[in-house]
Amino acid sequence: MRVHIDPDVCQGHTLCHMAAPDIFLLREEDGHSYVATPEVPAGREDVVRKAVATCPEGAITLEE
Amino acid sequence: MRAQRVPDRAVDCRPGREGVSVTIDDRVVVDFDQHSPDYRASYPQISHAVREQCPAAWSTHHDGYWVISGRDLIGELAKHPEFLSNDFDPFGDGRCDAGVAIPAPKGRTTRGGFLEMDPPLQLEYRHVLNPFLSPTAVERWRPMVTELSRACIDERLDSGTIDFVDDLANIVPAVLTMGMLGLPLVDWVIYCEPAHAMVYTPPNSPDFLRVLEGNMRMGAKLVEEMEKARVHPREGMVKALVDAQAAGAPFTDDDIAGTLTLLIGGGFDTTTSLTAHALDWLEQHPAERPRLRDDAALLDTATEEFVRYATPAQGGGRTITQDCVIGGHQFRKGDRVWMAYALANHDPAVFEEPDEIVLDRFPNKHAAFGLGVHRCIGSNLARMTFKTMLGQVLDDLPDYTIVREGIVRYEDIGTINGYKHLPATFPARPRAGLVLDEVIERWQGILDDGSFWA
Repeated sequence: MRVHIDPDVCQGHTLCHMAAPDIFLLREEDGHSYVATPEVPAGREDVVRKAVATCPEGAITLEE
Repeated sequence: MRAQRVPDRAVDCRPGREGVSVTIDDRVVVDFDQHSPDYRASYPQISHAVREQCPAAWSTHHDGYWVISGRDLIGELAKHPEFLSNDFDPFGDGRCDAGVAIPAPKGRTTRGGFLEMDPPLQLEYRHVLNPFLSPTAVERWRPMVTELSRACIDERLDSGTIDFVDDLANIVPAVLTMGMLGLPLVDWVIYCEPAHAMVYTPPNSPDFLRVLEGNMRMGAKLVEEMEKARVHPREGMVKALVDAQAAGAPFTDDDIAGTLTLLIGGGFDTTTSLTAHALDWLEQHPAERPRLRDDAALLDTATEEFVRYATPAQGGGRTITQDCVIGGHQFRKGDRVWMAYALANHDPAVFEEPDEIVLDRFPNKHAAFGLGVHRCIGSNLARMTFKTMLGQVLDDLPDYTIVREGIVRYEDIGTINGYKHLPATFPARPRAGLVLDEVIERWQGILDDGSFWA
């Protein structure tokens, strides 16, 4: 599974980070989210799906 | 993106129920006013009634405006700042001149900071202020917020009574906002009452003139502070805005003053309201108090849930800049739109049991901090301050009881869904001896030292 954040859509709500702080990192300067690597570690798929579902802006997409 | 510029479709809505709505042209018309007493009395129910008519319904109040109450539709609109303007520009060189308040206040000449600007200028302000409000930046304030909360509660311990609004939730965010702005912490008292009263006093109230005068004095005081920041700068957001101006950004004195007023309004009133809602609900659900106190993950999801349920900032006005169809709904240039975040946050299509507070609700894609480029810039600060104040109450006053007959809600919740008073009692006990004024004085020393900001 691969995960992407659209930086033009993310507005820094930080709920993905709440779901999976190891996967969704927050930029120092404005708290907008990014991923260190798009590859989702095995066993973390469900929590990443939750992050997708909770993003208020719909900025996160998955490739299963 | 489902938006298109050429309007070629009629609004696709279910027919209105007889007696509740009528359809004029292609719009579903509803009798809705977020400033009405009915709305205050039963906003989740009203929210459902309006949404069932149409997620984009037309209210004939306040010269007419769209009420966007569907969670999916409001998200779609927020993705189109090219069609939606926040601009308030009384001098006519902006895109629009109506701003974000519905109804628009009469006779106003200054705009409400960057909330009443569109990109790209709006983004320049956010760029200057974001570094103060990122999740990392707000963490450094947690010790001050904790000490302030402790002192506020301690000062009430031997009396066995506290007004959670007057004695805690009004004070802590106000002192914190002063610190972040770089204003003297003790000056929180100058801004506190005017800032809150401006939000809850309806324009037809006999008290309105006094409140307006208080706000004008506050504005004049802020201009003085900007002058001081140019000569004897204190670290903080006032200095950052003044420095940005000096560096050539097109920030006018009026817009900086408007921005400071916005930050004070946003910083003071919303977190106060959120805290009051949560403490009121927890009083009626006492078994949840120890759970929240002991489980940080639950406090995280519960915070989002309280924010969703209460939606302290109920919505925001926009102006349509050109004819367009968004999410299947047709809008015309010049139409006013109320982004009804509070209504969207109770949309059963997105939130199961929308009118229940479910502390571990997650995912929770609430829109309470707004959506799109105007997302509440203080959302991270609000979360930290709320969790700290609430945690301190749960630690220090675990068995509080609200004096229900003493609760006073805002007369008009259409702007902020707030409480004026939330009195409580608890078993009195001896104080530890903390004094709020001393805590404030000590923290002023820490902030003036400079190493805090390094």
